[in-house]
Amino acid sequence: MRHGKYRFIASFLAIPLVLYVVFVVSPYAQAFYISMTDWRGFSGQQNFIGLRNYAELATDGRFWQAMGHNGLLILVVPLVTIAFALFLAAVTTVAGRQGAVGRGGVRGSRFYQVVFFFPQVVPVVIAGVLFGFFFNPDAGLLNGVLRVVGLGWLTRPWLGDPALALPSVMAVLIWGAVGFYYVLFSSAMKSVPPDVFEAAVLDGAGRLRTFWSITLPMIWDSVQVSYIYLGIMVLDGFALLQVMLPVPGGGPDGSTVVVSQYLYETAFTGGRFGYASAIGVALCLVTLLLAVAVLRLTRRQQGEY
Amino acid sequence: MTLETSAPATAPPARPQRRASRQDTAGRSTGERTLGVFTHGFLVAWAILVAVPLLWAVLTAFKTDSEIFTNPWSLPAHWQFGNFARAWTTANIGTYFVNSLIVVSVSVVLVMLLGSMVAYVLARYEFPGRSVIYYAFVAGMTFPIFLALVPLFFVVQNLGMLGTYQGLILVYTAYALPFTVFFLTGFFRTLPGALAEAAMLDGCSHAGVFFRIMLPLARPGLISVGIFNFLGLWNQYLLPLVLMPDSQHYVLSQGLAVLAANQGYRSDWSALFAGLVIALLPVLAVYVIFQRRIQEGLSVGAIK
Amino acid sequence: MNPSRPVLGLDRRQFLQRLAAAGLLAVPGAGLLSACATGGGGTTTAAQGQVSATNPLGVATDAPLDVVIFKGGYGDDYALAHEAMYKEHYPQAQVKHSGSTQIAQEMQPRFVAGNPPDVLDDTGSQKIEYAVLVNDNQLTDLGPLLDAPSADDPNVKVRDTLLPGVIEQGTFGDKFVILNYVYETYALWYSKPLFEKNGWQAPTTWDEMMALCEKIKAAGIAPFTYGGVNASDYVIDLNLGAAIKQGGLDVVKKMDNLQPGAWTQDTVLAATQRLEEMVRKGYFMPGSEGLKHTEAQTAWVQGKAAFYVSGSWIENEMKGITPPDFAMTAAPIPVLGSGSAMPVAALRTQPAEAFVVPAKAKNVHGGMEYLRLMLSKQGGEKFAELTASVPAVKGATANAKKTPALESLSAALAAAGSNVFSWQFRTWYSSYSTLLITETTNLLTGRTDAAGYLAKLQAETDRIAADQSIAKYHR
Repeated sequence: MRHGKYRFIASFLAIPLVLYVVFVVSPYAQAFYISMTDWRGFSGQQNFIGLRNYAELATDGRFWQAMGHNGLLILVVPLVTIAFALFLAAVTTVAGRQGAVGRGGVRGSRFYQVVFFFPQVVPVVIAGVLFGFFFNPDAGLLNGVLRVVGLGWLTRPWLGDPALALPSVMAVLIWGAVGFYYVLFSSAMKSVPPDVFEAAVLDGAGRLRTFWSITLPMIWDSVQVSYIYLGIMVLDGFALLQVMLPVPGGGPDGSTVVVSQYLYETAFTGGRFGYASAIGVALCLVTLLLAVAVLRLTRRQQGEY
Repeated sequence: MTLETSAPATAPPARPQRRASRQDTAGRSTGERTLGVFTHGFLVAWAILVAVPLLWAVLTAFKTDSEIFTNPWSLPAHWQFGNFARAWTTANIGTYFVNSLIVVSVSVVLVMLLGSMVAYVLARYEFPGRSVIYYAFVAGMTFPIFLALVPLFFVVQNLGMLGTYQGLILVYTAYALPFTVFFLTGFFRTLPGALAEAAMLDGCSHAGVFFRIMLPLARPGLISVGIFNFLGLWNQYLLPLVLMPDSQHYVLSQGLAVLAANQGYRSDWSALFAGLVIALLPVLAVYVIFQRRIQEGLSVGAIK
Repeated sequence: MNPSRPVLGLDRRQFLQRLAAAGLLAVPGAGLLSACATGGGGTTTAAQGQVSATNPLGVATDAPLDVVIFKGGYGDDYALAHEAMYKEHYPQAQVKHSGSTQIAQEMQPRFVAGNPPDVLDDTGSQKIEYAVLVNDNQLTDLGPLLDAPSADDPNVKVRDTLLPGVIEQGTFGDKFVILNYVYETYALWYSKPLFEKNGWQAPTTWDEMMALCEKIKAAGIAPFTYGGVNASDYVIDLNLGAAIKQGGLDVVKKMDNLQPGAWTQDTVLAATQRLEEMVRKGYFMPGSEGLKHTEAQTAWVQGKAAFYVSGSWIENEMKGITPPDFAMTAAPIPVLGSGSAMPVAALRTQPAEAFVVPAKAKNVHGGMEYLRLMLSKQGGEKFAELTASVPAVKGATANAKKTPALESLSAALAAAGSNVFSWQFRTWYSSYSTLLITETTNLLTGRTDAAGYLAKLQAETDRIAADQSIAKYHR
């Protein structure tokens, strides 16, 4: 039996592990090696230079500026997205109407379930093009609407303003992400056993109380996974930035440069693949630490049935 | 509310519980009413924010290039169906769509199978090296993909799979594994063990337990992670860029990106938007049709 | 699951065999790249044929030719025409054509693998920086092409068919490695009918320009616009162009040669201060900093702004959006004041659209031959006809159908005569591009002033000059 168990484990792990090692681990391991060379990216020539790239990284102002933006993105985008998605999910599924705090939700919730998901099917490249038009200060929808409703003094050159460019990009990331987490959270809420809510109603709990003390704890696992997944998505937000702010400099006055963009620029514009790889490895380490931190911090008592 | 009536006809029937909660409309407090107005206002506002850019994109797909810029917010003066023909033929959106469908579907099936095997073993068996393997997969979620692009190119080339569907499928599968394993490991841990033990006592093999009992139990979780994977791979752009150099085998995201990039040099915005609409509609349709099943899948995947 | 179940048509053993073939790769840092360098590249023997009068470059007539074209503002129809010409000369050769906008990502692995295309048009925002390729010895010395007889007349060498500046632009150190095929000219662009209607005249001095801007502004139109999101650096033709015209070619040579104080020369400072004055007086369309170049250009052709500073690709790029009666017209950059070293008519002509033959290409000779055919009269005329633009060969546009822009450009080039200039610092040192875009936007939005702007550029110049790891060039 014991022998059978190990043979079974091996047979289940073999193919996926081989795939993973060949296509994922080995390229990254090579990238790690490259990060300790001065490889320029186009020939086979490379010299091993140890940790010199990492030493340079420690004092590279632009890298730390980009890191700072990454930090901001990773803090704001998931938090806002999750808050929005939770709110929308709560009012359409759980909050119910007039005292009937059960499941159900507001009128038209089925319509919202469909509509809110829309952005999820828009490829990020296209979202970038779309919102380029949206933020266009001259002919764009946003400034147009502001002028029409008499808020002309609020019009801004959105993507051209160092203070607003990054928030504008964040808004697009949030716009694109809320739908999926909305569907995720509302499904999670629907699967909370109805008697839990009924009990709460009998206890006289209001909507907010119900949400805080019942709904949220019950779906906490979903929230936690969402945070990690969103964090990773944000780090990958490079494609969107590349379309919306196709600047080598990283937005107005470098105000939107993120690590992946700096990495790309270093590699392809600067021809320093060794250094770019070091940037990437540093980014990995930070992400990994972050994932562990999130898992630790958000670990809390499970919802009680 | 008019919103209710505009819900798509394909939407599955409401569940009985929801009907029940809709019955009494009397006796709400003023506070509740204000809250209701506020939440409704918010929902409508968000729906508009979400729908308007897309509706605008659809309308734009029917305009001429100069109209897009001169009258960006009006209805098209003449509906330009030719944009779609151009997107379909010149920009090959149709072919790219089929390519994407093949590559992504096979990858998703494969990653679900392999990922659930790994996750199951990691979740329910004790063996040396278990946590090393688990963390190796978790770490895989944090790597920026284009760090790996050049070395990956050579791996795929040396396997003779450059520019082939199977090459891209295997790469997609490998890169979707970390999240799948991470998600499903958590899921398998929460499944009741009693059933599996009973089956073992009945003489079922380890693999038998997995395929006959645990996998069906895990179906909801599989569906939800499958959707994650499908959407993620559908939008994947960097991997095919390097691994599918031949423009006939481009996947959709690549084709759209090329269309978008071309706008920096020669403007054919109308074809871009037409291509976008062609690309969006099937995915939207699938979501609308399978909406309820998707939500069920997500719900059980999210909570135990 | 039965472990020997086939994986996508491969049974497990086959699968593992292939994995073993790639097995080396799984070893961390096992010098995959160095393996490639010795295996794939380096000593490849390029296809070689008999040299003859009709085949001066010694093309192997049956060797396949792999051509990768940047499919940007000029499309790639012209390349298809050139490829057809090659095929006509060498019917046995297979010609493979690809058009791409993502040159760097798609070509990089091929360069590393020692399997680059035979002809590469390395252009666009995703191009591989030339300095990177040159410093890595990835490009073929095109000297033999220059000295080969031209396709039309065996008594005239290819070098003598090129427009002025083409050889200079493509020379790094002592090697001519890049053929910039399009003769791009930078100017102040405006709509002739709009100016005639308002009784405005293209300015010849900055004082005139300032006065005109005031009038234009009074008419409710923005004098200038620019694509602040990604292309504010187009505007540097205004201040640098004026500075060079004022002080002569020495001004730009100091910049190109990374001399101390190059960016703080009097003329450069004076011209940049005038630009700053334009910013202060509000002569740039509000909101331009939030526009991409295509959006800014769209606003311009819609008549929301009067002038746009750009290269000669502008007409082609805006085809389809420009109103039919717009009549895009080029004017040279105004001079700063009296006593300028170069006349007003002087123009910056900077050949672009970089065609290279990678050093490790399988068919280096075929690649060079392809360039030779591009530079033939027929090749040049085809290009002019299909793109309404000027190729780097003499006399190619003589018979081409002239669009308004091409017509005004030809006239401007004729007026400039030998008074043309160019700058090389952006080609030689890739880090300038990023800085120029960021800092020019800062200048145009008033976040920095002329002195601060130039100080940043001088600091970068000093940094490059001091950095031993950057290869230096001189003119």
